[in-house]
Amino acid sequence: MAIDFGEKIYILDGGMGTMLQEAGMSPDESSAEFGVRNPHILTEIHNKYVDAGSDIIYASTFSINGRRLDKLNMSLQEAVNIVLDAAAAAKERAMKLYGREVKVALDIGPVGQLLEPMGTLPFEEALEIFAELVRAGRDKADIIAIETMTDLYEVKAAVLAAKENSDLPVMVSMSFEANGRTFTGTSLEAMALTLEGLGVDAMGINCSLGPDEIFPMIMKLKTLTSVPVFAKPNAGLPDPSTGAYAMDAEDFAKKMSGFFREGVGILGGCCGTTPEFIEGISKEAGLYETSPQECDRTLSLCSGSNVVKVDHVTVIGERINPTGKKRLKQALIDEDYDYILSQAMEQIDAGAEILDVNVGVPKLDDVKMLPRVVKKLQSITDLPLQIDSGNPEAIEAALRVYNGKAIVNSVNGEEAVMDRILPSVKKYGAAVVGLTLDEKGIPDTAEERFAIAERILTKCLEYGIPRENVIIDCLTLTVSAQQKEVVETLKALRMVKDRLGLKTCLGVSNISFGLPARAIINRTFLTMAMECGLDLPIINPNNEDMMASIAAFHVLHNIDRNSVDFIEKYGNVDVISSISSKKENNSTDSTKNNGNHDVFYSIEKGMGSETVSLVKALLETEDEMTVVNKYLIPALDRVGQGFEKGTIFLPQMLQAAQAAQAGFDIIKERLANKDQKQVSQGPIIIATVKGDIHDIGKNIVKVIMENYGFEMIDLGKDVSPELIVETVLARDARMVGLSALMTTTLKSMEETIVKVKEAKPDCRIFVGGAVLTADYAEKIGADYYCKDALKSVEAAQEVFNEQI
Amino acid sequence: MDINVTKPIDRGKWMTMLGIPAGGGADLEEQFARAEALIRTGASPRGIYRVMDVSDIRLEGFSIQKHLEGCMQAAVMAVTLGAGIDGLLRREQVRDMASAVVIDCGASLYIEEACDIFAEVIRTETGLFTTSRFSPGYGDYPLYCQEDVLRYVDGQRKIGINITDDYLMVPRKSVTAIVGLADHPVAGRLATCGECVLKDKCTLRKEGKYCGD
Repeated sequence: MAIDFGEKIYILDGGMGTMLQEAGMSPDESSAEFGVRNPHILTEIHNKYVDAGSDIIYASTFSINGRRLDKLNMSLQEAVNIVLDAAAAAKERAMKLYGREVKVALDIGPVGQLLEPMGTLPFEEALEIFAELVRAGRDKADIIAIETMTDLYEVKAAVLAAKENSDLPVMVSMSFEANGRTFTGTSLEAMALTLEGLGVDAMGINCSLGPDEIFPMIMKLKTLTSVPVFAKPNAGLPDPSTGAYAMDAEDFAKKMSGFFREGVGILGGCCGTTPEFIEGISKEAGLYETSPQECDRTLSLCSGSNVVKVDHVTVIGERINPTGKKRLKQALIDEDYDYILSQAMEQIDAGAEILDVNVGVPKLDDVKMLPRVVKKLQSITDLPLQIDSGNPEAIEAALRVYNGKAIVNSVNGEEAVMDRILPSVKKYGAAVVGLTLDEKGIPDTAEERFAIAERILTKCLEYGIPRENVIIDCLTLTVSAQQKEVVETLKALRMVKDRLGLKTCLGVSNISFGLPARAIINRTFLTMAMECGLDLPIINPNNEDMMASIAAFHVLHNIDRNSVDFIEKYGNVDVISSISSKKENNSTDSTKNNGNHDVFYSIEKGMGSETVSLVKALLETEDEMTVVNKYLIPALDRVGQGFEKGTIFLPQMLQAAQAAQAGFDIIKERLANKDQKQVSQGPIIIATVKGDIHDIGKNIVKVIMENYGFEMIDLGKDVSPELIVETVLARDARMVGLSALMTTTLKSMEETIVKVKEAKPDCRIFVGGAVLTADYAEKIGADYYCKDALKSVEAAQEVFNEQI
Repeated sequence: MDINVTKPIDRGKWMTMLGIPAGGGADLEEQFARAEALIRTGASPRGIYRVMDVSDIRLEGFSIQKHLEGCMQAAVMAVTLGAGIDGLLRREQVRDMASAVVIDCGASLYIEEACDIFAEVIRTETGLFTTSRFSPGYGDYPLYCQEDVLRYVDGQRKIGINITDDYLMVPRKSVTAIVGLADHPVAGRLATCGECVLKDKCTLRKEGKYCGD
C-alpha cells in the first residue's frame, strides 16, 4: 500500500502519555494497562487530535507487545483490538464530521529490553515480538509507525517484521540526544543509510529534544536520504526536578513553521505537546508545501554506529577468510570465536575500515556459521562488514542479522547467480560486488570485462538496487601465470570508473603468487590500480607497506588535505628499506632470541611479543609439546604460585596469561600447519547462568583454563539450562563451569545443576561467583566451589587426571 | 542531565577493588592512566531524578522504610555511564583481558563518583536535607523494585537505561537509588546484616567487616 508522503503535507498527532496522565493514569500504571481499561479515554484523546488537524493518529499500542502482557490479563490480539478500535472510532468520527480521511497508525515502541550484544534479547526474538504485534494490528491499521527507538538494530527487526507481515506503509523515528546520536550510538547517517536500504516510507526524529534542538538534525537528515523526513519533537526540554516542559503551544507552532519553510511536510509533537500544540502546527501548514530532498549519493556503508563514506581509498581487511589459513579454518570448525575476533581486532588496530567475512570451510554449514560470526564481530567492532560467500542462503542469513548497511561479495555476470543473490541485496539494502566473469570464465580483454560490468549494473538497476551500491571487481590475475593480462585488469578498472562511474574493488595480493619478494609486487600493483581508480582494495591491513602506499596516495591526490593524517601516522617514524637478504633476516631473528630474558621471565612480566620470539627460538630445538610442558605450563604455574602468595595480582596474572597465550598460539599454528590436532583436554563448558549478565569473571576463568590446555566451550551469559544440557550431551563434556553473581540468580544455577546431573550424572560441575560460598555450592549440588580461576584449573586437573 | 566527572579515579580504591594490597601495584600506573583515558572517552554519564512523596513510592522491605524515616519526600534517581562503556568492555575482553578487568573496576568507581556528584545536584536543587543513597537489591529492598524506580523517572526514555527480565540494568554501569528528603537533618540508615539478603554469603561479613564502614 503506497502513501503520498513527499507530495502533500501530513499533520501527525501530539503526546499521548501527557494526555493519559491528565486523564488520571497513575505513576504505577503503564499506558498499555490504562489504555485497555479506558478505551473511551483513548478515543476522546484521538478525537481532540483529529479536531486539531491530525491526519495520522498513533493508536496507543506503543508499550504493548507479547512480552508485556502480564499485567493486562488478556491476549495480545485482544489488547491490540481494544486500542486500535479506540483509534478507529476517532477515524470514523472524522469522516462523518469533517469528511476527512484520517489514518490510524499501529504504534510500535521499543520492546523494553536491549538486544544483543548490548542486552540479552536475540535479534530473532525481537523480530518475532514485532511480527506478532504487526499480525495482530495489520487489519485495523493504515500505517505502521515505529517510534522512539534508540537502537538501529531493534529498528531493523521492527521494519523487517512490518514488511514481512503486512503491506502497510512504514514510518520510523528514532530519538537522538543533543550530541546527534541515540543512547546506543546510532548517528543520523547510519539511520538514513540503513532505513533507506530497508525501504521505509518516511524517517524522522521524535522525543527527547525540542524543536530548537531537532531542527538542525532534520536539516542534516534531509541531505542524507531521498526518503521523506519527519519530526515529532517534545515541547522543549523538561525541567529536571518537576519534569514539566518549557514551551507553550504558540511558541511551539512558531518553531515548527521553520520546518515547513524548509520543505519538511510531516510534523507532529511528542512528550508535553497537546491538541493545542497540534492545532498551532495545522494552522501554519496551509502556508507551505512539501519539497523534494536532494541528497549526496556517494557510496557509504555503515554498522549500527559507524559510517564509512567511500570518498577515498577505503581498505577492506581480508584476514577473516580461511582460504590457505589452517589455523583460522580450525578455529571456525571448533567455533573458537576468540581467535576469529582477535583476527578482527588486529585488522581494526592496523587501520582497516571494512572487514571482509568469509567462513568457507568444506562441510561447514555456512548458513548457520556466517550469521553467527557476523553477530560476534558486530559485538566488538563498529566497522562495516563485507559478507563474502557464494551461497545465497548464507548471504541472506548474514544480511538479516547484520546491523547497518553491508557489502555483499559477490555476484558475477551469470544471470542465474544474480537472480539468486540480488533479491537479498535489494531487500536488506546492501551494496554488492560484481565480478567481471561469467559462465564462460574470466574474459581476456578489458572490453569484455567491461561488458560484463555493464550487464551487472543493468541487472542491479532492474532489481531496484541504486547505482551507487554497485561495486565492480575487475579481477586480479596472477602475474607469474598470465603476465600480459594484468594490464587488462587495470584497463577495465579505468573503463568502469570513467564510463559507468561505479566504485571498484580488487583483491590485490593474488597478483604476486609464485614470485619472490611478493610485497614489492603487491605494493606496486596496488599503486597502479589506485591510479586507475581503485576505491576498495581488499588487503591485509597488517601489511604496513601497503597501508603506507595508500596513505601516500591520499597525500598525492589531495585527499589527505595538508597531509594531516600522513604526518600523524608517519611523523615520528624512520623508514628503513624493506629489502634485505634472507641471510641477514635470519641473523637478526637469532639476536632477538638471544636476549637476556628467558621465557619464564617474559611470561611473568606479561611480554607477549618477546614470549613469541622466545617460543619460536625454543621450537628450533624442541618439539611443540616439550615447549608446552617444560616451559609454558611451568611458567604459568610459577605465576599462579605468586598469585596465591599475594606477590602477583589479578591484572598481572592476566597479562602473564596473555603472554603465554601468544606463545601457545605459535604452537597451535605450527600444529595446524602440520595437520596435527592440538593435544588438549576437554571439552569443558562454561557459562554465566540464566538471568545473570555478569560475564567478566567467567571470562577470566576461561582465559586461564585455556592456558592450561583445556578446550573451553564458552556459551556466554544469560544461558538457559536447556542450552547447557544440550551442549553437554552434544559435546560429551565431562565438566561444566557455572558462574552467578546475584543472589537472585543462584536459583537458576541450582536448576542448571539439577538438569545437567539428570542428563549426564557423571558430569562434574564447578561453580564460582561473588555470592557463592563453599557450603552453598555443596548444598545446590555442585562438585567444586572455585573461588578463583586457579582453583578452577585445579578442579579440572583433578577431574581429568582421575579419568585418564 | 549530563554529569561532568572531573576528579581522577582514586588509585587506592581502584587497587583495593582489584585485590591489590596497599603498595602492591606500583607498576600499574601506566595501565591505570590508559584505562582512565578509555573510560573518560567511552563514558557519557547522565542522570535523571524525580522528587516524589514517599507515600507515592512503592516501598518493600523493612530496611528502605527505616532509611526514609522522618522524610516526607524522596528523590528517585538513576545514573548511567551509557552504552559506550559496555562496548569498550566487550572489545577490551578480546584485545586484553587484564586491561578489561582494570577498566571494569575503574568504571565502577567512576559511576560512584558520578552518583556522588548527582546526589549533590539533587541536594542543591531541592534545597533540602538528604539521606545517603539506597538502591534496590540492597538490604531487604527487593531487586525487582528496580522496575518501579526506573518507571518513576522514565529511565529508558530519559537516559537510556533498560532492564532485563531479571531486573538487571543495561547499560551495565548504571545505578538507581532513593534519596530521602527532609526539611531537617536526616541520617538515613543502612541495612543491618540481620535484615540483609546477603547475610549468609557476604565475604565482608565473614571477615568481620560491614559494608557501611
